[in-house]
Amino acid sequence: MTRDEIYQQLNKIFKETLDLKEVHLTDQTTAENVDGWDSFAQISLVGEIEQYFKIKFSMNEILNFKDVGTMVTLIQSKVPKE
Amino acid sequence: MLFSSMTFISIFLPIVCFLYFFARKEFRNYMLLIASVLFYGWGEPRYLAVMLITIIINYLGGLLVSESKYKKISLSLTILGNLSFLFYFKYFNFFVENLNLFIHGHINIIKVIMPIGISFYTFQAISYVVDVYRGDVQAQKDIYKLALYISLFPQLVAGPIVKYHDIADQIDNRVVDIHEVSYGVKRFIVGLSKKVLIANTMGAVADKIFSQPVAELDFALSWLGAVCYTLQIYYDFSGYSDMAIGLGHVFGFKFLENFNYPFISKSISEYWRRWHIALGSWFRDYMFLPLSRFLTQTKSYLQLAGLIGRKKTNILMTFIALFIVWFFTGFWHGASWSFIVWGLYNGLFIFIEILTGWNRDRRGLVGRASQHLYSLFVIVTSFVIFRSDTLSYAWGYLLTMFGFEVGQPIYTWLYYVDRTEILAMIVGIVCSVPIFRTMLEPEDKSFIHIGIINIWLLMLLVLSMAYIAAGSYNPFLYFRF
Repeated sequence: MTRDEIYQQLNKIFKETLDLKEVHLTDQTTAENVDGWDSFAQISLVGEIEQYFKIKFSMNEILNFKDVGTMVTLIQSKVPKE
Repeated sequence: MLFSSMTFISIFLPIVCFLYFFARKEFRNYMLLIASVLFYGWGEPRYLAVMLITIIINYLGGLLVSESKYKKISLSLTILGNLSFLFYFKYFNFFVENLNLFIHGHINIIKVIMPIGISFYTFQAISYVVDVYRGDVQAQKDIYKLALYISLFPQLVAGPIVKYHDIADQIDNRVVDIHEVSYGVKRFIVGLSKKVLIANTMGAVADKIFSQPVAELDFALSWLGAVCYTLQIYYDFSGYSDMAIGLGHVFGFKFLENFNYPFISKSISEYWRRWHIALGSWFRDYMFLPLSRFLTQTKSYLQLAGLIGRKKTNILMTFIALFIVWFFTGFWHGASWSFIVWGLYNGLFIFIEILTGWNRDRRGLVGRASQHLYSLFVIVTSFVIFRSDTLSYAWGYLLTMFGFEVGQPIYTWLYYVDRTEILAMIVGIVCSVPIFRTMLEPEDKSFIHIGIINIWLLMLLVLSMAYIAAGSYNPFLYFRF
Protein backbone atom coordinates (compact mmCIF):
# COMPACT_ATOMS: atom_id res chain seq x y z
CA MET A 1 0.00 0.00 0.00
CA THR A 2 1.46 3.40 -0.93
CA ARG A 3 1.68 6.33 1.45
CA ASP A 4 -0.77 8.25 -0.73
CA GLU A 5 -3.38 5.54 -0.36
CA ILE A 6 -2.90 5.48 3.40
CA TYR A 7 -3.19 9.26 3.55
CA GLN A 8 -6.39 9.21 1.54
CA GLN A 9 -7.92 6.78 3.99
CA LEU A 10 -6.57 8.59 7.08
CA ASN A 11 -8.05 11.89 5.93
CA LYS A 12 -11.41 10.17 5.67
CA ILE A 13 -11.12 8.52 9.11
CA PHE A 14 -10.04 11.76 10.80
CA LYS A 15 -12.81 13.71 9.12
CA GLU A 16 -15.51 11.33 10.26
CA THR A 17 -14.19 10.60 13.75
CA LEU A 18 -13.47 14.21 14.66
CA ASP A 19 -16.48 15.70 12.84
CA LEU A 20 -14.36 18.06 10.77
CA LYS A 21 -15.27 19.66 7.45
CA GLU A 22 -11.85 19.39 5.82
CA VAL A 23 -8.75 17.44 6.78
CA HIS A 24 -5.38 17.61 5.02
CA LEU A 25 -2.90 15.48 6.90
CA THR A 26 0.79 15.66 6.10
CA ASP A 27 3.88 13.98 7.56
CA GLN A 28 4.35 16.95 9.86
CA THR A 29 0.78 17.13 11.19
CA THR A 30 0.59 16.67 14.96
CA ALA A 31 -2.30 16.62 17.44
CA GLU A 32 -1.69 20.33 18.00
CA ASN A 33 -2.65 21.27 14.42
CA VAL A 34 -5.88 19.29 14.28
CA ASP A 35 -8.91 20.71 16.07
CA GLY A 36 -10.30 18.13 18.47
CA TRP A 37 -7.48 15.61 18.27
CA ASP A 38 -6.89 15.01 21.98
CA SER A 39 -6.33 11.93 24.11
CA PHE A 40 -10.06 11.23 24.13
CA ALA A 41 -10.24 11.23 20.35
CA GLN A 42 -6.99 9.28 20.14
CA ILE A 43 -8.59 6.02 21.27
CA SER A 44 -11.42 6.27 18.74
CA LEU A 45 -9.02 7.24 15.96
CA VAL A 46 -6.71 4.34 16.70
CA GLY A 47 -9.69 1.99 16.89
CA GLU A 48 -10.97 3.11 13.49
CA ILE A 49 -7.51 2.84 11.90
CA GLU A 50 -6.99 -0.67 13.29
CA GLN A 51 -10.43 -1.72 12.09
CA TYR A 52 -9.94 -0.41 8.56
CA PHE A 53 -6.39 -1.60 7.96
CA LYS A 54 -6.89 -4.79 10.01
CA ILE A 55 -3.80 -4.18 12.12
CA LYS A 56 -3.02 -3.79 15.84
CA PHE A 57 -0.99 -1.15 17.63
CA SER A 58 0.76 -1.69 20.97
CA MET A 59 0.26 0.80 23.82
CA ASN A 60 3.80 2.02 23.34
CA GLU A 61 3.22 2.68 19.65
CA ILE A 62 0.06 4.64 20.42
CA LEU A 63 1.94 6.79 22.94
CA ASN A 64 4.77 7.46 20.53
CA PHE A 65 2.78 8.84 17.59
CA LYS A 66 4.74 12.07 17.43
CA ASP A 67 3.25 13.10 14.10
CA VAL A 68 1.15 11.67 11.28
CA GLY A 69 4.32 10.75 9.38
CA THR A 70 5.38 8.17 11.98
CA MET A 71 1.81 6.88 12.07
CA VAL A 72 1.76 6.33 8.31
CA THR A 73 5.18 4.63 8.34
CA LEU A 74 3.97 2.32 11.09
CA ILE A 75 0.73 1.49 9.26
CA GLN A 76 2.71 0.80 6.10
CA SER A 77 5.01 -1.61 7.95
CA LYS A 78 2.08 -3.46 9.48
CA VAL A 79 -0.24 -3.81 6.51
CA PRO A 80 0.42 -7.18 4.86
CA LYS A 81 1.91 -6.85 1.37
CA GLU A 82 -0.32 -8.13 -1.39
CA MET B 1 13.89 20.91 54.19
CA LEU B 2 11.99 23.70 52.48
CA PHE B 3 13.34 25.43 49.35
CA SER B 4 12.11 28.69 50.80
CA SER B 5 14.10 28.39 54.00
CA MET B 6 17.37 29.96 55.08
CA THR B 7 18.89 26.53 55.78
CA PHE B 8 18.29 25.46 52.22
CA ILE B 9 19.21 28.64 50.36
CA SER B 10 22.21 29.77 52.37
CA ILE B 11 23.74 26.50 53.61
CA PHE B 12 22.56 23.34 51.89
CA LEU B 13 22.41 24.56 48.29
CA PRO B 14 25.76 26.40 48.19
CA ILE B 15 27.60 23.41 49.71
CA VAL B 16 25.96 20.92 47.35
CA CYS B 17 26.69 23.15 44.33
CA PHE B 18 30.29 23.64 45.36
CA LEU B 19 30.92 19.91 45.81
CA TYR B 20 28.99 19.06 42.66
CA PHE B 21 30.90 21.35 40.32
CA PHE B 22 34.27 20.32 41.64
CA ALA B 23 33.49 16.62 41.76
CA ARG B 24 34.67 14.43 38.93
CA LYS B 25 32.00 13.54 36.43
CA GLU B 26 31.67 9.92 37.54
CA PHE B 27 31.07 10.95 41.16
CA ARG B 28 28.39 13.54 40.44
CA ASN B 29 25.46 11.11 40.52
CA TYR B 30 26.59 9.73 43.89
CA MET B 31 27.01 13.26 45.20
CA LEU B 32 23.48 14.17 44.20
CA LEU B 33 22.14 10.95 45.69
CA ILE B 34 23.79 11.67 49.05
CA ALA B 35 22.51 15.25 48.92
CA SER B 36 19.01 13.98 48.17
CA VAL B 37 19.05 11.54 51.06
CA LEU B 38 20.22 14.29 53.43
CA PHE B 39 17.59 16.68 52.08
CA TYR B 40 14.82 14.13 52.58
CA GLY B 41 16.05 12.85 55.92
CA TRP B 42 16.51 16.33 57.37
CA GLY B 43 13.03 16.57 58.85
CA GLU B 44 11.82 12.99 59.07
CA PRO B 45 14.68 10.48 59.01
CA ARG B 46 12.45 7.51 59.75
CA TYR B 47 10.64 7.84 56.43
CA LEU B 48 13.86 7.28 54.58
CA ALA B 49 13.18 3.59 55.17
CA VAL B 50 9.91 3.77 53.24
CA MET B 51 11.66 5.39 50.33
CA LEU B 52 14.50 2.90 50.48
CA ILE B 53 12.11 -0.03 50.31
CA THR B 54 10.31 1.62 47.39
CA ILE B 55 13.63 1.89 45.58
CA ILE B 56 14.51 -1.76 46.20
CA ILE B 57 11.06 -3.02 45.16
CA ASN B 58 11.19 -1.10 41.92
CA TYR B 59 14.78 -2.01 41.19
CA LEU B 60 13.97 -5.71 41.47
CA GLY B 61 10.62 -5.21 39.78
CA GLY B 62 12.24 -3.49 36.81
CA LEU B 63 14.74 -6.31 36.37
CA LEU B 64 12.02 -8.98 36.62
CA VAL B 65 9.78 -7.15 34.16
CA SER B 66 12.54 -6.96 31.60
CA GLU B 67 14.32 -10.29 32.12
CA SER B 68 11.84 -12.86 33.40
CA LYS B 69 9.16 -14.81 31.57
CA TYR B 70 6.45 -13.49 33.85
CA LYS B 71 6.45 -9.88 32.73
CA LYS B 72 2.82 -9.12 33.39
CA ILE B 73 2.79 -10.67 36.86
CA SER B 74 6.04 -8.91 37.80
CA LEU B 75 4.63 -5.60 36.63
CA SER B 76 1.35 -6.08 38.52
CA LEU B 77 3.12 -7.08 41.72
CA THR B 78 5.51 -4.13 41.57
CA ILE B 79 2.68 -1.66 41.00
CA LEU B 80 0.70 -3.34 43.78
CA GLY B 81 3.69 -2.98 46.11
CA ASN B 82 3.99 0.72 45.32
CA LEU B 83 0.30 1.33 45.75
CA SER B 84 0.04 -0.56 49.02
CA PHE B 85 2.57 1.77 50.63
CA LEU B 86 0.61 4.72 49.37
CA PHE B 87 -2.62 3.15 50.56
CA TYR B 88 -1.32 2.42 54.04
CA PHE B 89 0.14 5.85 54.70
CA LYS B 90 -2.35 8.00 52.86
CA TYR B 91 -5.70 6.26 52.57
CA PHE B 92 -6.04 3.60 55.25
CA ASN B 93 -7.62 5.87 57.87
CA PHE B 94 -9.97 7.38 55.32
CA PHE B 95 -11.27 3.92 54.47
CA VAL B 96 -11.63 2.95 58.12
CA GLU B 97 -13.53 6.14 58.94
CA ASN B 98 -15.92 5.68 56.05
CA LEU B 99 -16.36 2.01 56.79
CA ASN B 100 -17.19 2.88 60.39
CA LEU B 101 -19.84 5.33 59.20
CA PHE B 102 -21.25 2.75 56.85
CA ILE B 103 -21.43 -0.21 59.23
CA HIS B 104 -21.78 1.92 62.41
CA GLY B 105 -18.63 0.22 63.63
CA HIS B 106 -15.75 1.29 65.81
CA ILE B 107 -12.68 0.02 64.01
CA ASN B 108 -9.70 1.95 65.33
CA ILE B 109 -7.74 4.17 63.04
CA ILE B 110 -3.96 3.84 63.03
CA LYS B 111 -1.54 6.49 64.15
CA VAL B 112 0.44 7.25 61.04
CA ILE B 113 1.93 10.35 59.48
CA MET B 114 2.19 10.41 55.73
CA PRO B 115 5.81 10.47 54.52
CA ILE B 116 6.37 13.71 52.66
CA GLY B 117 6.44 13.40 48.88
CA ILE B 118 5.17 9.80 48.86
CA SER B 119 2.45 10.55 46.30
CA PHE B 120 5.03 12.04 43.98
CA TYR B 121 7.81 9.49 44.20
CA THR B 122 5.40 6.55 44.12
CA PHE B 123 4.06 7.81 40.80
CA GLN B 124 7.60 8.20 39.49
CA ALA B 125 8.40 4.65 40.51
CA ILE B 126 5.30 3.34 38.72
CA SER B 127 6.29 5.29 35.63
CA TYR B 128 9.64 3.48 35.69
CA VAL B 129 8.32 -0.09 35.80
CA VAL B 130 5.60 0.62 33.24
CA ASP B 131 8.09 2.20 30.84
CA VAL B 132 10.29 -0.88 31.19
CA TYR B 133 7.28 -3.14 30.60
CA ARG B 134 6.30 -1.23 27.48
CA GLY B 135 9.81 -1.58 26.12
CA ASP B 136 10.18 2.17 26.03
CA VAL B 137 13.38 2.06 28.12
CA GLN B 138 15.90 -0.49 29.34
CA ALA B 139 15.68 -1.68 32.94
CA GLN B 140 18.17 0.20 35.11
CA LYS B 141 20.88 -2.22 36.21
CA ASP B 142 22.56 0.22 38.59
CA ILE B 143 20.48 0.57 41.76
CA TYR B 144 22.16 3.86 42.64
CA LYS B 145 20.97 5.40 39.42
CA LEU B 146 17.43 4.23 40.02
CA ALA B 147 17.67 5.57 43.57
CA LEU B 148 18.75 8.92 42.14
CA TYR B 149 15.76 8.96 39.79
CA ILE B 150 13.31 8.28 42.63
CA SER B 151 14.92 10.54 45.23
CA LEU B 152 16.38 13.47 43.22
CA PHE B 153 15.97 16.32 45.68
CA PRO B 154 14.98 19.19 43.36
CA GLN B 155 11.69 17.51 42.54
CA LEU B 156 11.37 14.85 45.22
CA VAL B 157 8.77 16.27 47.57
CA ALA B 158 6.32 18.04 45.29
CA GLY B 159 7.19 17.25 41.70
CA PRO B 160 7.10 17.88 38.86
CA ILE B 161 6.55 14.13 38.53
CA VAL B 162 9.26 13.13 36.09
CA LYS B 163 8.53 10.18 33.84
CA TYR B 164 11.38 7.75 33.53
CA HIS B 165 11.49 7.78 29.72
CA ASP B 166 11.93 11.57 29.80
CA ILE B 167 14.98 11.46 32.03
CA ALA B 168 16.66 8.05 31.53
CA ASP B 169 19.33 9.44 29.18
CA GLN B 170 20.04 12.45 31.39
CA ILE B 171 21.02 10.26 34.32
CA ASP B 172 24.02 9.08 32.33
CA ASN B 173 24.69 12.02 30.07
CA ARG B 174 24.07 15.61 30.96
CA VAL B 175 25.88 18.80 30.33
CA VAL B 176 26.66 21.18 33.15
CA ASP B 177 27.67 24.55 31.84
CA ILE B 178 27.53 28.15 32.88
CA HIS B 179 24.50 28.99 30.72
CA GLU B 180 22.46 26.19 32.26
CA VAL B 181 23.50 27.22 35.75
CA SER B 182 22.72 30.87 35.09
CA TYR B 183 19.30 30.03 33.66
CA GLY B 184 18.64 27.68 36.59
CA VAL B 185 19.53 30.28 39.20
CA LYS B 186 17.29 32.88 37.55
CA ARG B 187 14.46 30.42 37.29
CA PHE B 188 14.87 29.54 40.98
CA ILE B 189 14.65 33.21 41.97
CA VAL B 190 11.49 33.67 39.91
CA GLY B 191 9.95 30.65 41.63
CA LEU B 192 11.06 31.75 45.07
CA SER B 193 9.53 35.18 44.68
CA LYS B 194 6.33 33.72 43.24
CA LYS B 195 6.08 31.59 46.36
CA VAL B 196 7.21 34.03 49.02
CA LEU B 197 5.87 37.34 47.72
CA ILE B 198 2.60 36.37 46.07
CA ALA B 199 1.47 32.91 47.21
CA ASN B 200 2.18 33.49 50.90
CA THR B 201 0.54 36.92 50.85
CA MET B 202 -2.55 35.61 49.08
CA GLY B 203 -2.58 32.57 51.34
CA ALA B 204 -2.80 34.69 54.46
CA VAL B 205 -5.96 36.37 53.11
CA ALA B 206 -7.49 33.11 51.89
CA ASP B 207 -6.83 31.39 55.23
CA LYS B 208 -8.57 34.14 57.16
CA ILE B 209 -11.64 34.02 54.93
CA PHE B 210 -11.88 30.24 54.68
CA SER B 211 -11.73 29.97 58.48
CA GLN B 212 -14.98 31.94 58.78
CA PRO B 213 -18.19 29.95 59.09
CA VAL B 214 -20.45 30.24 56.04
CA ALA B 215 -22.97 32.19 58.10
CA GLU B 216 -20.41 34.98 58.40
CA LEU B 217 -19.62 35.29 54.69
CA ASP B 218 -21.26 37.48 52.11
CA PHE B 219 -20.98 37.87 48.34
CA ALA B 220 -17.89 40.12 48.24
CA LEU B 221 -16.03 38.25 50.95
CA SER B 222 -16.62 34.83 49.43
CA TRP B 223 -15.39 35.96 45.99
CA LEU B 224 -12.35 37.61 47.56
CA GLY B 225 -11.49 34.39 49.36
CA ALA B 226 -11.99 32.25 46.26
CA VAL B 227 -9.86 34.50 44.05
CA CYS B 228 -7.10 34.78 46.66
CA TYR B 229 -6.97 31.02 47.10
CA THR B 230 -6.87 30.43 43.34
CA LEU B 231 -3.93 32.82 43.10
CA GLN B 232 -2.26 31.26 46.13
CA ILE B 233 -2.41 27.71 44.83
CA TYR B 234 -1.20 28.73 41.37
CA TYR B 235 1.76 30.79 42.61
CA ASP B 236 2.59 28.31 45.34
CA PHE B 237 2.72 25.29 43.12
CA SER B 238 4.03 26.88 39.93
CA GLY B 239 6.60 28.72 42.07
CA TYR B 240 7.69 25.42 43.56
CA SER B 241 7.87 23.90 40.06
CA ASP B 242 9.98 26.84 38.84
CA MET B 243 12.39 26.29 41.73
CA ALA B 244 12.55 22.56 40.98
CA ILE B 245 13.09 23.11 37.25
CA GLY B 246 15.67 25.80 38.01
CA LEU B 247 17.59 23.52 40.39
CA GLY B 248 17.39 20.80 37.75
CA HIS B 249 19.12 23.09 35.25
CA VAL B 250 21.83 23.91 37.79
CA PHE B 251 22.69 20.21 37.96
CA GLY B 252 22.19 19.69 34.23
CA PHE B 253 18.73 18.08 34.29
CA LYS B 254 15.96 19.28 32.02
CA PHE B 255 12.59 18.53 33.57
CA LEU B 256 9.49 19.12 31.47
CA GLU B 257 7.43 22.22 32.23
CA ASN B 258 4.64 21.77 34.76
CA PHE B 259 2.60 24.94 34.11
CA ASN B 260 1.84 26.94 31.00
CA TYR B 261 -0.33 29.92 31.95
CA PRO B 262 -3.35 27.82 32.97
CA PHE B 263 -5.65 30.78 33.51
CA ILE B 264 -5.67 31.77 29.84
CA SER B 265 -7.34 28.46 28.91
CA LYS B 266 -10.47 28.48 26.79
CA SER B 267 -11.79 25.19 28.13
CA ILE B 268 -11.22 22.87 31.06
CA SER B 269 -9.76 20.31 28.67
CA GLU B 270 -7.17 22.91 27.68
CA TYR B 271 -6.70 23.98 31.28
CA TRP B 272 -5.57 20.47 32.16
CA ARG B 273 -2.95 20.64 29.46
CA ARG B 274 -1.65 23.80 31.14
CA TRP B 275 -2.11 23.10 34.87
CA HIS B 276 0.03 20.51 36.70
CA ILE B 277 0.97 19.09 33.31
CA ALA B 278 3.13 16.36 34.84
CA LEU B 279 0.20 14.88 36.74
CA GLY B 280 -2.30 15.26 33.89
CA SER B 281 0.04 13.54 31.46
CA TRP B 282 0.90 10.84 34.01
CA PHE B 283 -2.78 9.95 34.32
CA ARG B 284 -3.17 10.13 30.54
CA ASP B 285 -0.23 7.85 29.73
CA TYR B 286 -0.45 5.38 32.60
CA MET B 287 -4.17 5.26 33.30
CA PHE B 288 -6.53 6.88 30.80
CA LEU B 289 -5.08 5.54 27.55
CA PRO B 290 -4.49 1.95 28.77
CA LEU B 291 -7.87 1.87 30.49
CA SER B 292 -9.89 3.18 27.56
CA ARG B 293 -7.91 0.92 25.26
CA PHE B 294 -8.76 -2.04 27.46
CA LEU B 295 -12.43 -1.04 27.53
CA THR B 296 -12.61 -0.87 23.74
CA GLN B 297 -11.23 -4.39 23.40
CA THR B 298 -13.59 -6.31 25.66
CA LYS B 299 -16.32 -8.66 24.51
CA SER B 300 -19.11 -6.47 25.84
CA TYR B 301 -17.66 -3.64 23.78
CA LEU B 302 -18.10 -5.66 20.60
CA GLN B 303 -21.65 -6.64 21.56
CA LEU B 304 -22.55 -3.05 22.32
CA ALA B 305 -20.89 -1.85 19.13
CA GLY B 306 -23.11 -4.23 17.19
CA LEU B 307 -26.17 -2.69 18.81
CA ILE B 308 -25.51 1.05 18.79
CA GLY B 309 -22.59 1.41 16.42
CA ARG B 310 -18.85 1.65 16.99
CA LYS B 311 -18.70 5.41 17.18
CA LYS B 312 -21.20 5.74 20.01
CA THR B 313 -19.67 2.82 21.87
CA ASN B 314 -16.24 4.41 21.63
CA ILE B 315 -17.59 7.60 23.14
CA LEU B 316 -19.34 5.68 25.90
CA MET B 317 -16.19 3.74 26.83
CA THR B 318 -14.10 6.90 26.75
CA PHE B 319 -16.47 8.50 29.21
CA ILE B 320 -16.37 5.57 31.58
CA ALA B 321 -12.57 5.79 31.51
CA LEU B 322 -12.73 9.56 31.94
CA PHE B 323 -14.75 9.42 35.15
CA ILE B 324 -12.63 6.66 36.64
CA VAL B 325 -9.50 8.69 35.89
CA TRP B 326 -10.91 11.92 37.35
CA PHE B 327 -12.04 10.12 40.46
CA PHE B 328 -8.46 8.99 41.01
CA THR B 329 -6.97 12.34 40.03
CA GLY B 330 -9.01 13.93 42.79
CA PHE B 331 -8.22 11.12 45.23
CA TRP B 332 -4.50 11.41 44.51
CA HIS B 333 -4.59 14.89 46.07
CA GLY B 334 -5.74 13.55 49.39
CA ALA B 335 -7.95 11.15 51.27
CA SER B 336 -11.07 13.27 51.51
CA TRP B 337 -14.38 13.59 49.74
CA SER B 338 -13.65 17.23 48.86
CA PHE B 339 -10.75 16.15 46.64
CA ILE B 340 -12.79 13.39 45.02
CA VAL B 341 -15.65 15.77 44.27
CA TRP B 342 -13.14 18.33 42.99
CA GLY B 343 -11.72 15.72 40.60
CA LEU B 344 -15.13 14.64 39.36
CA TYR B 345 -16.16 18.30 39.00
CA ASN B 346 -13.25 18.81 36.59
CA GLY B 347 -14.11 15.57 34.81
CA LEU B 348 -17.76 16.59 34.49
CA PHE B 349 -16.91 19.79 32.63
CA ILE B 350 -14.48 17.98 30.34
CA PHE B 351 -17.25 15.46 29.65
CA ILE B 352 -19.70 18.26 28.79
CA GLU B 353 -17.10 19.95 26.62
CA ILE B 354 -16.53 16.81 24.58
CA LEU B 355 -20.27 16.22 24.16
CA THR B 356 -21.01 19.77 23.06
CA GLY B 357 -17.79 20.53 21.19
CA TRP B 358 -17.27 23.46 23.54
CA ASN B 359 -13.56 22.62 23.78
CA ARG B 360 -13.11 23.53 20.11
CA ASP B 361 -11.90 27.08 19.57
CA ARG B 362 -14.67 29.61 18.98
CA ARG B 363 -14.35 32.44 16.52
CA GLY B 364 -15.02 36.09 17.21
CA LEU B 365 -14.51 38.22 20.26
CA VAL B 366 -17.73 37.22 22.01
CA GLY B 367 -17.11 33.53 21.40
CA ARG B 368 -13.58 33.66 22.75
CA ALA B 369 -14.45 35.90 25.68
CA SER B 370 -17.25 33.59 26.74
CA GLN B 371 -14.90 30.60 26.61
CA HIS B 372 -12.36 32.41 28.81
CA LEU B 373 -15.00 33.52 31.31
CA TYR B 374 -16.51 30.06 31.47
CA SER B 375 -13.11 28.48 32.14
CA LEU B 376 -12.13 30.96 34.85
CA PHE B 377 -15.50 30.46 36.46
CA VAL B 378 -15.08 26.68 36.61
CA ILE B 379 -11.48 27.00 37.83
CA VAL B 380 -12.25 29.42 40.67
CA THR B 381 -15.29 27.45 41.84
CA SER B 382 -13.36 24.19 41.63
CA PHE B 383 -10.76 25.54 44.04
CA VAL B 384 -13.48 26.43 46.54
CA ILE B 385 -14.31 22.73 46.67
CA PHE B 386 -10.59 21.92 46.83
CA ARG B 387 -9.95 24.31 49.72
CA SER B 388 -12.98 23.46 51.84
CA ASP B 389 -12.48 20.98 54.67
CA THR B 390 -15.91 19.48 54.24
CA LEU B 391 -18.32 19.21 51.35
CA SER B 392 -21.07 20.97 53.29
CA TYR B 393 -18.77 23.94 53.81
CA ALA B 394 -17.98 24.01 50.08
CA TRP B 395 -21.67 23.88 49.23
CA GLY B 396 -22.55 26.73 51.59
CA TYR B 397 -19.61 28.77 50.32
CA LEU B 398 -20.63 28.30 46.67
CA LEU B 399 -24.23 29.23 47.47
CA THR B 400 -22.93 32.44 49.06
CA MET B 401 -20.84 33.20 45.97
CA PHE B 402 -23.96 33.00 43.84
CA GLY B 403 -26.13 35.00 46.16
CA PHE B 404 -28.38 32.13 47.25
CA GLU B 405 -27.20 32.56 50.78
CA VAL B 406 -26.20 35.79 52.46
CA GLY B 407 -24.41 35.61 55.77
CA GLN B 408 -23.66 38.34 58.26
CA PRO B 409 -19.96 39.17 58.19
CA ILE B 410 -18.54 40.66 61.37
CA TYR B 411 -16.16 42.76 59.29
CA THR B 412 -16.50 43.76 55.63
CA TRP B 413 -14.07 42.51 53.01
CA LEU B 414 -11.99 45.70 53.37
CA TYR B 415 -10.86 44.47 56.77
CA TYR B 416 -9.26 41.40 55.23
CA VAL B 417 -6.88 43.09 52.81
CA ASP B 418 -4.31 45.83 53.28
CA ARG B 419 -2.40 47.73 50.62
CA THR B 420 0.39 45.16 50.25
CA GLU B 421 -2.12 42.38 49.77
CA ILE B 422 -4.05 44.31 47.13
CA LEU B 423 -0.76 45.01 45.34
CA ALA B 424 0.21 41.33 45.49
CA MET B 425 -3.20 40.44 44.10
CA ILE B 426 -2.88 42.83 41.16
CA VAL B 427 0.65 41.65 40.38
CA GLY B 428 -0.56 38.07 40.72
CA ILE B 429 -3.39 38.55 38.25
CA VAL B 430 -1.25 40.46 35.73
CA CYS B 431 1.59 37.93 35.83
CA SER B 432 -0.73 34.97 35.35
CA VAL B 433 -1.08 35.94 31.68
CA PRO B 434 1.90 35.70 29.33
CA ILE B 435 2.96 39.34 29.26
CA PHE B 436 6.39 38.88 30.77
CA ARG B 437 6.96 35.50 29.17
CA THR B 438 10.26 36.50 27.57
CA MET B 439 11.72 37.89 30.76
CA LEU B 440 14.15 35.02 31.34
CA GLU B 441 15.10 34.53 27.72
CA PRO B 442 14.68 37.90 26.06
CA GLU B 443 14.78 38.05 22.27
CA ASP B 444 16.64 41.32 22.53
CA LYS B 445 19.88 40.16 24.11
CA SER B 446 21.36 43.61 24.45
CA PHE B 447 23.62 44.33 27.37
CA ILE B 448 21.25 46.88 28.91
CA HIS B 449 18.23 44.62 28.60
CA ILE B 450 19.94 41.71 30.32
CA GLY B 451 21.39 44.05 32.91
CA ILE B 452 17.98 45.40 33.84
CA ILE B 453 16.55 41.89 34.15
CA ASN B 454 19.42 40.76 36.37
CA ILE B 455 19.11 43.77 38.67
CA TRP B 456 15.38 43.17 38.84
CA LEU B 457 15.88 39.49 39.73
CA LEU B 458 18.45 40.43 42.37
CA MET B 459 15.92 42.80 43.93
CA LEU B 460 13.30 40.06 43.93
CA LEU B 461 15.79 37.73 45.63
CA VAL B 462 16.68 40.25 48.34
CA LEU B 463 13.02 41.04 48.94
CA SER B 464 12.10 37.35 49.15
CA MET B 465 14.96 36.64 51.54
CA ALA B 466 13.83 39.53 53.72
CA TYR B 467 10.33 38.03 53.82
CA ILE B 468 11.72 34.61 54.73
CA ALA B 469 13.95 36.09 57.41
CA ALA B 470 10.97 37.92 58.87
CA GLY B 471 9.53 34.44 59.31
CA SER B 472 6.20 35.10 57.70
CA TYR B 473 3.71 32.46 56.74
CA ASN B 474 5.48 29.79 54.68
CA PRO B 475 3.88 26.41 53.98
CA PHE B 476 3.99 24.65 50.61
CA LEU B 477 0.51 23.50 49.72
CA TYR B 478 1.59 20.57 47.61
CA PHE B 479 3.62 18.97 50.39
CA ARG B 480 0.41 17.54 51.73
CA PHE B 481 -0.35 15.55 48.60
